[in-house]
Amino acid sequence: MLQLVADGLVVGSVIALGAVGLTLTYSILRFANFGQGEFMTWGAYFAVSTLAFVLAVTGGGVMEPLGPFSFGWQLIVAMLLAAALTAILALVVDWLLFRRLRRGNAITLVIASFGAALALRNLVQFLYGTLPEYYSREIQIAIRLVPRDVMGGLRVTPDQMLVIGLTLVLMLALQWLLTRTTLGRAMRATAMNPALARVAGVDVEGVIRATWVIGAALAAIAGVFVGITLQIRPMLGFDLLLPLFAAAILGGIGSVRGAVVGGYIVGLAESLSVPLVGAEYRAATAFAVLIGILLLRPNGLFGARA
Amino acid sequence: MTAALEMAAIEGGYEPGLPILRGASLSVAPGEIVALLGPNGAGKSTLVKAAAGLVPVWSGRVMLGGRDITGLAAHRMVHEGLGFVPQTENVFANLSVLENLQLASALVARKRRLDLGRMFELFPDLDRQRKLEAGRLSGGQRQMLAVARALVASPSVLMLDEPSAGLSPKLVGVVFERLKAVRDTGVTILLVEQNVKAALAIADRAVVLVEGRERLEGPAAELVNDPRMAALYLGAAA
Amino acid sequence: MEILPVLNYLAFFMVFAGIFAVMALGLNLQWGFTGLFNVGVAGFVAVGAYASAILTGPPEPERFGGFGLPILVGWLGAMLLSGVAAFVVAVAALRLREDYLAITTFGIAVVIQLVATNAQGLTGGPFGIQSIPRPFVEALGTGFVWNLAYLGLVALVLGLAWWALERLVASPWGRVLRAIREDELAAASLGKRAAAFRLQSFVIGCMLMGLAGALYAHFVGYIAPEDFLPILTFQIWAMLIVGGSGNNAGAVLGAFLVWAIWSVSGNLIREVLPAAEQARGAALQVVLIGVMIAAILVLRPRGILGERATVSRHAGKD
Repeated sequence: MLQLVADGLVVGSVIALGAVGLTLTYSILRFANFGQGEFMTWGAYFAVSTLAFVLAVTGGGVMEPLGPFSFGWQLIVAMLLAAALTAILALVVDWLLFRRLRRGNAITLVIASFGAALALRNLVQFLYGTLPEYYSREIQIAIRLVPRDVMGGLRVTPDQMLVIGLTLVLMLALQWLLTRTTLGRAMRATAMNPALARVAGVDVEGVIRATWVIGAALAAIAGVFVGITLQIRPMLGFDLLLPLFAAAILGGIGSVRGAVVGGYIVGLAESLSVPLVGAEYRAATAFAVLIGILLLRPNGLFGARA
Repeated sequence: MTAALEMAAIEGGYEPGLPILRGASLSVAPGEIVALLGPNGAGKSTLVKAAAGLVPVWSGRVMLGGRDITGLAAHRMVHEGLGFVPQTENVFANLSVLENLQLASALVARKRRLDLGRMFELFPDLDRQRKLEAGRLSGGQRQMLAVARALVASPSVLMLDEPSAGLSPKLVGVVFERLKAVRDTGVTILLVEQNVKAALAIADRAVVLVEGRERLEGPAAELVNDPRMAALYLGAAA
Repeated sequence: MEILPVLNYLAFFMVFAGIFAVMALGLNLQWGFTGLFNVGVAGFVAVGAYASAILTGPPEPERFGGFGLPILVGWLGAMLLSGVAAFVVAVAALRLREDYLAITTFGIAVVIQLVATNAQGLTGGPFGIQSIPRPFVEALGTGFVWNLAYLGLVALVLGLAWWALERLVASPWGRVLRAIREDELAAASLGKRAAAFRLQSFVIGCMLMGLAGALYAHFVGYIAPEDFLPILTFQIWAMLIVGGSGNNAGAVLGAFLVWAIWSVSGNLIREVLPAAEQARGAALQVVLIGVMIAAILVLRPRGILGERATVSRHAGKD
């Protein structure tokens, strides 16, 4: 039981990071971006390449693990580089595709994102192949936090704890950005009322670019987290897309706090449902959550507006 | 003397082939309050929106203090010194009163910024509600915040789209008194109004727009009793 | 060069194109005429294929179904079950903002894929369902003549679907659909009835997809989860967008055209690339089609044929 909760928190962290980006683009660009999952995949694979690059540059080509973790400082650098590259990728896709469709129907953007997602996913497959990849082959010893006779016990690896911790730090940083900085206020203002934002002096195209950068960078970091705790596959992001949408809608579109809470709820629900429905159906749990929230409270837990 | 704001032969509209503005011109002198009047559908709102960069201008010129600002993006207008208060949804309902003003202030160059403390002196009601979400303000307070938000960027010209809409007569009086006080700080005002009587009471001059063109203009005091006013309004209704 | 293999391949190609055309017609009713965005096409096709296979197939000890019912019953069952799945989705998502329907249909396709892969007792799991009966195979054998006969059957179904949709779209029902899509004011004034119209359109479209799934199952005689991956949804969308949505002729033309591009590029990859590189080549094929969709959306958003001008687009604009 405790073990399932811990696993749920790790998965929930990844979902939360992705869902935050989704809810930001959804509220500011006003469309459901089916490509958000692919930014996770690209982030994870970019980090494979940047890690190889960093290791080659720093000499030796081997990564000495950092303390109790399975990876060295080089992966942190690689992750930041991957986040930057993914942000650039998002800006390029926006410039090539979404920017040209913004004046039209919102649903055209959804179709476009659906097409872009498929292209991006298969491009990864083309470039990196379909075999799973890993950042590190180090075997990690899980730390036993709770003995086996108390609610089934609890073992967590240092990597998993780091993922949960870093997610919380990132979310606090984002919350600070949105409430305390001019960019954050401009983003919230644009989400509320784009026309008024322009009249008030907000460069809306600039806000849109910032939104892509933040959303894609968070997705990339989430993708690297998946790579650290599980493995890197071309379907990594696609398989997370449904949980991402479920979390964003559960939290209420546009609410960052909601997306985080929604992410952890969906992660926990998936994890806790495994003994009931079996591991093969855990992805269906996200769908059940989605249908439930749409029927009962379509504005989400934190969404106020109709 | 250079006009604070001048629009010359503006043609424009939302969709190509469907013009709403058909060569509208008007000029506002520094320090004036000018009321832009006219029957429903005359294009009053569209004209100020076109000046603010929200509606495409197909031909004609918009000059602000002698500088050509035609066709600039809406957010650039603010930096040039042209303020605009839309008619509805004119505050960021999800931001607090203070955040509404902080955002507007932070977006303009430092030398343009007006001290927020002075803004709260001008609008004491808002001072007491600093932390409140703007969406929870009353109609009158909301209108004050919308004006304050535009003033923070210290515009040389402030355009307002029907600030009296949805307010009780008493509140209209309060808001318009405040607009006079704003003018007395040196801001030129162009006021789109449906409420002819109230508008003429505070305006120096008025321009009447019909079917996308100016048809009548003159000192507000003279237009109050001008029979041509009623004719223009009635003519459009018929 | 022998002529028969070429003709046989052509018949094969036409059967598939015809089946895709039925799916595209269903999607056109939803998107082209009603403005409903369905990202779960593959899921509804799968429901139809599995339903008909289970109803008509021979009994299997390990699996539910195998009722050995007539094929026509299987097809009706396929339409019915796809319609039920569509109804469930529509009730949850149709009354909400339009992209929630996209997300929900995406979700149900994922779940259907999970069931197809894992519910071995129902769907045969990853190995799928074999020996799905083929109509007239006793009389005609499995050669070219049978392919031709099945092509005739597909053409008949496609023709019937086309005729029914054209009638439907021209009827008062169809005019209301377009009014709802074009004019929010009209939709608002219809209120609850607008929601009912949308629901009907969505369910009928999905029933056509289910029927197409059954057509596919009884032609190939064998279905497995990988026949109904999201790429199928994507192909149908490509067909509709290329041909021009809101136009039945466009949907059918798009189906034949995109399927031709797809087949030719697929054959090219098989011919040109070494065996080890085939998977990568297939990935690149999908990338190119994805880019094609995006390019058409940007450059020629109405597709090749575009929409027939039946309703004024500028009605009621203030």
